[in-house]
Amino acid sequence: MHQRTRRALAGLVMGTLIAGTAACSASGGDAEGTGEAENVTITIMGKPAATNTAAVELFERQVAAFEEANPTITIEASDVPWDAKTFATRLAGGSAPTLLRVPLTEPPALIERGQVADITDVASELDSFDDLNPRVMQFLERDGAVYGIPEKSYAFGLVYNRTLFEEAGLDPDAPPQTWDEVREYAKQISDATGKTGFGEITTNNSGGWHLTGYDYTFGGRIIEQESDGTWVAAFNDDASRDVLELWKAMRWEDDSLGDNVLGKQEDLVAEFTAGNVGMWVSAPPDVYPNYVAAGGDPAAFGAGPMPQGGADATLAGATVLMVSAQATEAEKAAAVKWIDWRALRPNYDLEVAAETAKASAADGLPVGVPVAPIFSDEAYAAYRAAIEEYVNVPVENFAPYVESLTAFEYVPEPEVASQEIYAALDPLVQAILTDPNADIDALLDDAESRVNTILAQNAS
Amino acid sequence: MTIAPERLRGSAPEGRAAQAASPTPRRRRNHRGRNAALVGFLFLLPSLLVFGYFAWWPIAQSIVLAFQQTNLVDPAEWVGLRNFEILFADPLLGRAALNTLWFTVLSLAIGLPVPLLCAVLMSELRRGGTLARVLAYLPVVVPPVVAVLLWKVFFNPGESGVVNSLLALVGLGPFPWLQSPELAMPSLVIVATWSGAGTAILIYLAALTGVSTELYEAAELDGASVWQRVLHITLPQMRGIILVLLLLQIIGAIQVFTEPYVMTDGGPANATVTILLMIYRYAFLFGNYGVATALSVLLALVLVLVSALYLRLTRSWSSR
Repeated sequence: MHQRTRRALAGLVMGTLIAGTAACSASGGDAEGTGEAENVTITIMGKPAATNTAAVELFERQVAAFEEANPTITIEASDVPWDAKTFATRLAGGSAPTLLRVPLTEPPALIERGQVADITDVASELDSFDDLNPRVMQFLERDGAVYGIPEKSYAFGLVYNRTLFEEAGLDPDAPPQTWDEVREYAKQISDATGKTGFGEITTNNSGGWHLTGYDYTFGGRIIEQESDGTWVAAFNDDASRDVLELWKAMRWEDDSLGDNVLGKQEDLVAEFTAGNVGMWVSAPPDVYPNYVAAGGDPAAFGAGPMPQGGADATLAGATVLMVSAQATEAEKAAAVKWIDWRALRPNYDLEVAAETAKASAADGLPVGVPVAPIFSDEAYAAYRAAIEEYVNVPVENFAPYVESLTAFEYVPEPEVASQEIYAALDPLVQAILTDPNADIDALLDDAESRVNTILAQNAS
Repeated sequence: MTIAPERLRGSAPEGRAAQAASPTPRRRRNHRGRNAALVGFLFLLPSLLVFGYFAWWPIAQSIVLAFQQTNLVDPAEWVGLRNFEILFADPLLGRAALNTLWFTVLSLAIGLPVPLLCAVLMSELRRGGTLARVLAYLPVVVPPVVAVLLWKVFFNPGESGVVNSLLALVGLGPFPWLQSPELAMPSLVIVATWSGAGTAILIYLAALTGVSTELYEAAELDGASVWQRVLHITLPQMRGIILVLLLLQIIGAIQVFTEPYVMTDGGPANATVTILLMIYRYAFLFGNYGVATALSVLLALVLVLVSALYLRLTRSWSSR
């Protein structure tokens, strides 16, 4: 081949490869304060998916009402969900939304990197601010400053198919309480119905996420802080071993986990909605609206307590709303006003709560799904009373889950590098579920060293 | 524009003959050639500037970024070789390199002969050639992510999975395909070959039309079988194009991303983690652009070396 062709080929190779990760230099946003009366346009996340037409209609009505009440503010809404993979690039390119809707695992890193705004001034003026659940707020405050507001919170629980329970001769009102019972029920469902007794997810960090949640129920922790403030892996112990042994036994001895164990949450929601899965672990209130929107039978949906291995604990998380660091003062104020309008008032202001519930019910949307409240228990009780006449969800199917919420300790996700840790734990979970000869101790040692490397890099 | 008849008559063979006969016209031609080159360069300049700005400048920036730490918001900070240290301390790097190599070997073993065989067979078709070409090229038209998701359904590990149902007809399976650390990578190679073979087949078919039919006729007169004709005429005549496609195959296989990203996310148990997937995770999952770029630069270097070595080797083979 000619030399010129070779050079061109080499250039092509370099271009193809490197251009992919080439970064552009960032231009700092000008965040000078501007007058209150100035017209502002804010871009927001959180519009429901286009397929959920009823929810979209309600959302659009809320936006129109908000803009009418606040004529200087214009809302541009997006239904694109939070994606850690594109956020930094969008921020650098100046196209990140003003209002971010992110899982509770993200705020520490976003605050640390200076990518979100301090909204203390505007947030603390909200009527409901003092009533916000401190268990969630602790992750959104740093050095006395507020960086976010919770939209909703969740605690892990057992999602199960009541119809399959009945077909397998199990009582649908008495879901399993312990992992031993889960194993027993799962085998019974698999044997009797031929369906997957207990569904498990292992990709896109979900394997690590579930291992963390299960580990908590055996009294374990994924990471712990040393006296010098550094974090180290803490999961190479009996609690994790118990979880892994349980998975191994269910997969290879009982054959109750099904054949398809390499999927993510969305895959399992689809399988569960189709009636192919008996039980699985998730946040029941979060799953329910998607389940119903996808055509799932409300009467078949059951929510039970997070199965326990002796610790009476459950993993808890939340979806929170934060404002981009590039927002101007006026944009920050507008964003917090919208947070109050859309996320807080319908759960706090009893009149608005009733109106929203009425409108949602008229649209055929689920109303009254029992949740882990973002406000105090008193405020939540008052909210439930206010919406009572519009509730269209079979609340009794959630009763075992709701009862458990007061009984368990809520354990947060790993405080640092949570998504990286989950990514490092995925292969461990996958190994157990795809290789009958997987060596649990060796896998735990390997994962421990990997997580410690991540934590060391994170600290430096 | 009209061309004078005498210019038309002064056709190329005459021009070449004149050049060979006398040195004077060649000098004049060289002079004209330089002018033509300058004009050509001026015509090329806008493209070069655009290409330089959008292709070479990011490459230069990337190389700089490999030695920096940035969150894309604050100014980048120089960290020297730290990104490379982080990379070499990552136990997954060796695994990813081996996986990438394994994918490359498998895709050469499957992905090289299959399109060649298809092209040779299709060129022998007396009728239905066009239909065969359309069918062969069809997978290339399907958007990659859609195609890969489709295969994910095909590879369903249960007895109801499409591939397993077909195999059950001949008494095989069911196989856990993507769920098995051993089978996952070959499954991805099958998908990659399926989606990429159409282009290679078209290139081979184009090359086959260039093979002199006289050679085949002579071989037939000598009583050569189809296999002998393929072995002694077709393949040697196509050696150049095969070598180029082999190189492109190697470069493409080393950069495999879509299949492991969409189908397995690197699983099960890291069995399909590739170098590009690692780059992606470092950049877009962990937000560590410096390390991601450092790994990109390393990969680019390896590819340049592989290409150079390959070209040197094949040049000596070609000259035999």
